[in-house]
Amino acid sequence: MNSEHRWLEAYPELGTGPVPTEPYISAAWHELEKEKIFKRVWLCVGRANEIPKAGDYKVKRIDAADTSVIMIRGKDGQIRAFHNACAHRGNTVVTETGNETYGSSRAAVLTCRFHGWVYGADGSLINVPSEERFYSCFDKSENGLTPVHYGEWEGFMFVNVAEKPESTLEEFLGDYADHFRGFPYDSMDFGFTYRTELACNWKVAHDAFAEAYHVDTIHAGSFPNVFSTGLQNVKLMGPHRTCAVCLTLNAKPTPVAGVANKVAGASLVARRGASMLPTSINPDKRSDFAFELSVLFPNTLLHISEGIWFTHQFWPLAHNRTLWEGRYYVKAPKTNSERWAIEHAMTLQRNAWLEDTATMEDTQRAMQSRAKTMQNLQDDEILIRHGAAVVDRYVNA
Amino acid sequence: MEPMTLPPSFAELAPYLDWALPTADERQAKRLASTSDELRRFYDAVLPRLEDILAEVDRFPLGGLPESHRALFNIALSLAEVAPHIELYGGAVGVPYAFDEARFIAVHGDQPTWKGFAPTAAG
Repeated sequence: MNSEHRWLEAYPELGTGPVPTEPYISAAWHELEKEKIFKRVWLCVGRANEIPKAGDYKVKRIDAADTSVIMIRGKDGQIRAFHNACAHRGNTVVTETGNETYGSSRAAVLTCRFHGWVYGADGSLINVPSEERFYSCFDKSENGLTPVHYGEWEGFMFVNVAEKPESTLEEFLGDYADHFRGFPYDSMDFGFTYRTELACNWKVAHDAFAEAYHVDTIHAGSFPNVFSTGLQNVKLMGPHRTCAVCLTLNAKPTPVAGVANKVAGASLVARRGASMLPTSINPDKRSDFAFELSVLFPNTLLHISEGIWFTHQFWPLAHNRTLWEGRYYVKAPKTNSERWAIEHAMTLQRNAWLEDTATMEDTQRAMQSRAKTMQNLQDDEILIRHGAAVVDRYVNA
Repeated sequence: MEPMTLPPSFAELAPYLDWALPTADERQAKRLASTSDELRRFYDAVLPRLEDILAEVDRFPLGGLPESHRALFNIALSLAEVAPHIELYGGAVGVPYAFDEARFIAVHGDQPTWKGFAPTAAG
């Protein structure tokens, strides 16, 4: 397919009209998104190998679901999830140090800092100091941690804070799970994390990353010899979406990048050997394939490529505030020179992300002026069009 | 305090020991506090020795660099931080047309890179 409007031809139901900006700037709309999306669907909250040992735990603050969730690995090896709220007087059981808090308990228990109530990794309330001072109506067995629905796919941890999720994790992921299955996520676990709070709606951040139309302009600094050859293999899968980003390299690498490429193919723009990608990715074996760009609804972007993978997550804090987390994963280095090459690749990627995030707060401010109430999308911005349609469908369901 | 010596065969890099910084945060801060000319002098001095430095540090296992070689490796890491500014950004000390670097938090930023830890591990 090479026509100018090939994605419209593939997905005519999405239409061609302009897309309203009101959902990006309305506090009322944001409340609806919290209730109808973030408190109802499965959310990716990390990698299971972040908490490898019994008693290891991670607490993820999810403002858009008005809660924080503890993921803790029990002595049986299973991870379970609970709201971070004590049955005593509602304090957080694990004292959080930010949006993500990690810890480890050799005994695989969680002890509330406030009055020392102790919970097991299965959520049961094990010990209450001065228990005899409570009254006969208080029953420890009815006062465990409140469970949160938990699931795993390809080593990713997911939670769903709904009392009764409308779908299982498997049903929610649907074809997306098959498309991305089999990539060696677990063996590429040398992961860098960057984060910042952006004064923009989470969808502004999503949209800025969900197209390749910006590569030639926004990344003229960090990737001057890289030109977008457009999207390929766009596939919409329920609320999720994916595509291949294709880029051409027009010149030989800069001197330091050349040394780095020799040491390790750690950079996104380095040349590569045999494929580690699932057969569903780049099925036509295009030589200009750079990486698969996908949106795992609602707020996770997963990208996979040869030798690296990276994610962006957008956690809404308010209608015009978003916590962004960017993570970049490679295989752990074995030598000092490999570690150096990874540092070079990570630095360049960080700079590209600094270029990506540069437009977001400006976009939000301009949208809030209401000078323009619609945005005009071209055919290669289909992922943005689909994203807006999916959000609209959930909010108006 | 990090060691501030170089192996004898790299003695000519001694004027650049102020770039021998163990953490990514320190290297970024040093780059932002430099002038364009300082970045270029550092780049021009270290680039010709980069492959020699990498061969030299690879005599030791990752995470096992002796004190005598840490400054050398840290200088190479600073070159990774500085290189895009010379090679791509026309000598600009910041990333042009970019988000405020001070607001971008690197979770691994205070970790001594030479230790070879997973970036998620505590420094």
